[in-house]
Amino acid sequence: MQTRKPKISKELKEKLLDLEKLKYCFECGICTASCPMMELAPSHYNPRILLETIVLDPEKALTKPDIWLCGWCYRCYERCPQKLKPPEILLLVKTHAVEEGILEGFNEAAKIMGETVALAESCYYVCFHPERTKMRQEDFENVLKKLIKNRNKTKRQKIKPQGEKIAIIGSGPAGLTAAYELAKKGYHVTVFEAYPEIGGMLRYGIPEKRLPRKAVDDDVEYIKGFGVEFKTNTALGKDITFDQLKDEGYKAIFIAVGALKSRKIGCEGEELEGAVCALDFLRDVKSKKTVTIGEKVAVIGGGNVAVDAARTALHGGAKEVTILYRRTREEMPANPWEVKEAEEEGIKLEFLVAPSRILGKDGKVAGLELVRMELGEPDETGRRTPKPVKDSNFTREFDMIILAVGEAVDTSFLPKEIELSDINTIWADPITMETTKEGVFAGGDAVTGPASVMEGIVAGKRAADSIDRYVKGG
Amino acid sequence: MSNPQVVEVKQSSLQKEEPRIGVYVCHCGLNIAGSVDCENVAKFAATLPNVVISRDNRYTCSDQGQDLIKKDIKEHKLNRVVVASCSPRLHEPTFRRACEEAGLNKYLFEMANIREQCSWVHLYDKQDATEKAKDLVKAAVAKVALLEPATESEVPIIPKALVIGGGVAGIQAALDLADTGYQVYLVEKEPSIGGKMAQIDKTFPTMDCSICILAPKMSDAGRHPNITLLTNSEVQDVKGYIGNFKVKVLKKPRYVTKDCSACGDCSKVCPVIMPNEFDVGLAVRHGIYTPFAQAVPSTYVIGMEHCLNKDGVLKCDKCIKACERKAIDFDMKPETVELEVGTIIVATGADVYDPTSLRNYGYTKFPNVITSLEFERLINAGGPSGGKLLRPSDMKIPETVAFVQCVGSRSDRGHLYCSNICCMNTIKDALLIKEHWPDTKIYVFYVDIRAFGKGFEDLYKRARKEGVIFIRGLPSDIYEERKTHNLWLVGENTLQNDVYKVNVGMVILSVGIEPRRDSDVIQKLLVLSRTNDGFFMEAHPKLRPVDTPTGGVFLAGCAEGPKDIKDSVTQASAAAARAGILMAKGKVTVEAITPKVLPENCKVCGLCTKVCPYNAVVLNKDLKHVEVIEAACAGCGTCGAECPFGALYMRHFTDDQIIAQIDALTEHDADKKIIAFCCNWCAYAGADFAGVSRMQYPTNVRIIRTMCSGRVAPKFVERAFVRGAAAVLVAGCHIGDCHYINANVQTQKRVERLWKKMERLGLNKERLQLLWASAAEGERVASKVREMQSIVQSVTKEEIEKSKKMTEKV
Repeated sequence: MQTRKPKISKELKEKLLDLEKLKYCFECGICTASCPMMELAPSHYNPRILLETIVLDPEKALTKPDIWLCGWCYRCYERCPQKLKPPEILLLVKTHAVEEGILEGFNEAAKIMGETVALAESCYYVCFHPERTKMRQEDFENVLKKLIKNRNKTKRQKIKPQGEKIAIIGSGPAGLTAAYELAKKGYHVTVFEAYPEIGGMLRYGIPEKRLPRKAVDDDVEYIKGFGVEFKTNTALGKDITFDQLKDEGYKAIFIAVGALKSRKIGCEGEELEGAVCALDFLRDVKSKKTVTIGEKVAVIGGGNVAVDAARTALHGGAKEVTILYRRTREEMPANPWEVKEAEEEGIKLEFLVAPSRILGKDGKVAGLELVRMELGEPDETGRRTPKPVKDSNFTREFDMIILAVGEAVDTSFLPKEIELSDINTIWADPITMETTKEGVFAGGDAVTGPASVMEGIVAGKRAADSIDRYVKGG
Repeated sequence: MSNPQVVEVKQSSLQKEEPRIGVYVCHCGLNIAGSVDCENVAKFAATLPNVVISRDNRYTCSDQGQDLIKKDIKEHKLNRVVVASCSPRLHEPTFRRACEEAGLNKYLFEMANIREQCSWVHLYDKQDATEKAKDLVKAAVAKVALLEPATESEVPIIPKALVIGGGVAGIQAALDLADTGYQVYLVEKEPSIGGKMAQIDKTFPTMDCSICILAPKMSDAGRHPNITLLTNSEVQDVKGYIGNFKVKVLKKPRYVTKDCSACGDCSKVCPVIMPNEFDVGLAVRHGIYTPFAQAVPSTYVIGMEHCLNKDGVLKCDKCIKACERKAIDFDMKPETVELEVGTIIVATGADVYDPTSLRNYGYTKFPNVITSLEFERLINAGGPSGGKLLRPSDMKIPETVAFVQCVGSRSDRGHLYCSNICCMNTIKDALLIKEHWPDTKIYVFYVDIRAFGKGFEDLYKRARKEGVIFIRGLPSDIYEERKTHNLWLVGENTLQNDVYKVNVGMVILSVGIEPRRDSDVIQKLLVLSRTNDGFFMEAHPKLRPVDTPTGGVFLAGCAEGPKDIKDSVTQASAAAARAGILMAKGKVTVEAITPKVLPENCKVCGLCTKVCPYNAVVLNKDLKHVEVIEAACAGCGTCGAECPFGALYMRHFTDDQIIAQIDALTEHDADKKIIAFCCNWCAYAGADFAGVSRMQYPTNVRIIRTMCSGRVAPKFVERAFVRGAAAVLVAGCHIGDCHYINANVQTQKRVERLWKKMERLGLNKERLQLLWASAAEGERVASKVREMQSIVQSVTKEEIEKSKKMTEKV
């Protein structure tokens, strides 16, 4: 590609600085320290320095691979004292780079990704979103093809598993990443998966439209190439026990079972036909089971799963989909950009409402009785608690209710020595990832509660490094 | 209170005299001349009717500038003067004095504000700014020709002061005033005076013991013959005006009489135990208690909300039995004390930021993450741990400690401003730890260290010398180790471009300070303004830093903005001096802007009596017209705006004068202009603030100043439309913040009536806008003008013609 001298207009620069308050960045470093991508590729990516480059020399930023390495997890925004949104600042820069036809940074970033992250292809779909820059599909596909080609070269130098045995429970982003990292270090890794197919939330949770099966297949194939063994349909605590694993000579265990237990809202009518849990719904759609989707669908909840379920329902043929959330947009835990895209697709959002009853007719869902909420004082977590407004009940007709009020971790299979956190997830040391049982590590959603793919990958990487130190006696 | 002498407005001889006007256009260096062609404006002014002389000069406010005016008054027999320069809020008194010195009545002077409301807000459009300046001068000349001389009445000042808030600022202000010889009432909400300073262990940069230097001042205040201490008390109501305030103070019952010897026998037997507020909940106190050892007054107090006898039934009498002096009295009732004072000093202090909402820092979740105020109590010898820095989790002294700076400050998640004290407080705290436990490893995570004051840099260096580790970069997250309750701080060292993971035994969040959560109460009672950050606004940030826009009310300490002890004390003495000056004079002149009744026009309809916020207009059935009680009138002019018959003649803001201004401003290109009526206290001051902040907005707005938006009679708005104005803006203080109690409620009613009328006449009511903006909301004014620009552009010629006939159809 011919290198053009990049230009950035005064207007765009002003927009970058003003709209996103970039000029108020005091460089406290919180974005960098909280960034999963920074942890994965520290020599390639530092959001603070990148933002500074955009302020001082935006033209230079256009050609840098760094702008293409943001994984849209919004961890930086959640912590930034100035409430900057680096993902959206970078999108403006990237979009401009695409307009100017500057793609060398994108190419370079793909190379870095291929070398750094096991799930590179999946990440391109669920984390990196180059399509948001309105890049030509062709350009995107070319880069992906090149990434896969490069990766396969590495695969040929296959490492034969010969080292100590490590067990990984769960094959989601955290488990797969840990498996890959440990296999690369020469360990003999076995991944135990309760479900018939590998991939965890990548496979069963994220809608096909956002993450094609092929991408997950490619990534899994690549990881298999390092000699990682997979045992599907094998659930810990049911098909295999902790003691068995120990007896079979596994030196360390990494629990990455995710958060798959759908929470109930505990209101009347949850058993009616047409009332489903979001995760079950997403899994059934993805496993190509026949799923009946209603015409008027209500999704209850404000997280990413709620948004995914809403979009899946809409793509699956629902006429009208409404997300009902009990707080306001400001408190919505879902990725703001996904929310924006959902709205653009025509999904309605209603805030400060909560269901008090699911209404039924002939055993089927007929609607919802809702109650208006108002935000009270901040609770201990700092979020303002929603409180029902007295006598504000009203009803609304729906023929399908998808419950996405949060996902919990199934901890029933755990031995007593493994303690839980105050939010009823598995407790693991934030730095070493070790649980309260020696040699047992945990990470991903099972520890943090529902989080992004990027955060799962980091947990896997961190656990692999820690397990390596542990086994080597470091 | 003696009734100030009523000034008779006569059709003076001057009125019959032909006006001879002198106009002075000030360059203000380049402040005005940079974007206004002052020479051209002066030339233009010379062509205006009655203008005898017109000059431009570099600094009209300089001695030479003033001398020139004086000379001209004498030589050219000027009987009216116009100065086109800065805001009348700044220099009107200066020029009025100059006029007086030359023998001209000061009410024959008028200003055109071509700096704050012209050159500074139109920096890049010299041509239009110059045209606007000409218009403003023209309006001033039109008004000045109609001005009349007046004599001001005098009001005596009660030589007593009220100080609200008994922290170090309030104590200092009270002592200074009392030492000068004035009676002072010191009102404190808590049971003891002392405030935040009493809670602090040591002070920076000298490392003095805080309570050791404060306690003597507290007891001085407690026994000063001129100070009346009202603790456990709150100001409930304030009425009156400069020199003559009537204040109601609610004295909450202590349930312990003055006979208390502070022996503490009662406390020992009290069964109620609860967290101690003074120790920020780190220790406990009994239901009957003294807040701390040095409390003034030392009299014990019962916190009734937790006492077993709170329901009015004597369920527990242990304290009564224990008290030898029979000082406990459960029958005490709240008492309202009425005070009459001449001046008020607001020293209500600040609150401490609560970092609970910053979830990534784990405050309240992890026991060993504490705030800097909690640290002060822990390190204090009189505190719950006897001065040992014990970790809440295991009561052990930590080997490593981390301070995190800017928690809740300089942040969109807390407060945008710098809290001023936290850097030095942390450095002082770090040194204290080093002093007691020299081997402690101390990290300070910061973004910028601001060691700007006298002796600050030395202290900062000392901390570095002692081995305190300063790392630039705030932690993004704090994690807790489960077994040890140690903490991991993860952040980026932004000077090394490297992520750090630091393990410490204790984290101290260096929290900022914020305005008192109940600031709005005092704000409303005293009609103060608050800046965007929520602290009380001073009358002028540089030149009147302890005055407020409300006459006779002054500010001291953190109520005005975050500051350390030294600055609080300095400001308190300044406020005391300012209040003292007023009281020493013994009287204050009241502007001659009150209305005069024209009995021949009065139809005794009583409309004006209903809208007067002060009940200063009364019907006199014998005389068959209304009367104005001069002493009670504040001169807002809402009565004048209400009177349909022109029976109330608003001195210095007469109908004729304002209409002359409107006519002058609409003489040319009216169809492109916005005529704005702004109240002196909020909207006009806000427009000035926009100028000082150089906020740019379109040049086509023309502001006419009235004392209150309540003065804006519907006929003024209609006049502007009849003269072809594209749009009209009426702007005043926010509802509830009106400087004339609630006169702006009338403004709202009148504008709403006008809207209805416009609708009826088929006029686009968008052309009349109503804005509430405080003196601090320059941007609000500026963006309103920007917003109205699109309305101006959309108004068609037909619409203008239609509105020109607005008054005909009625």
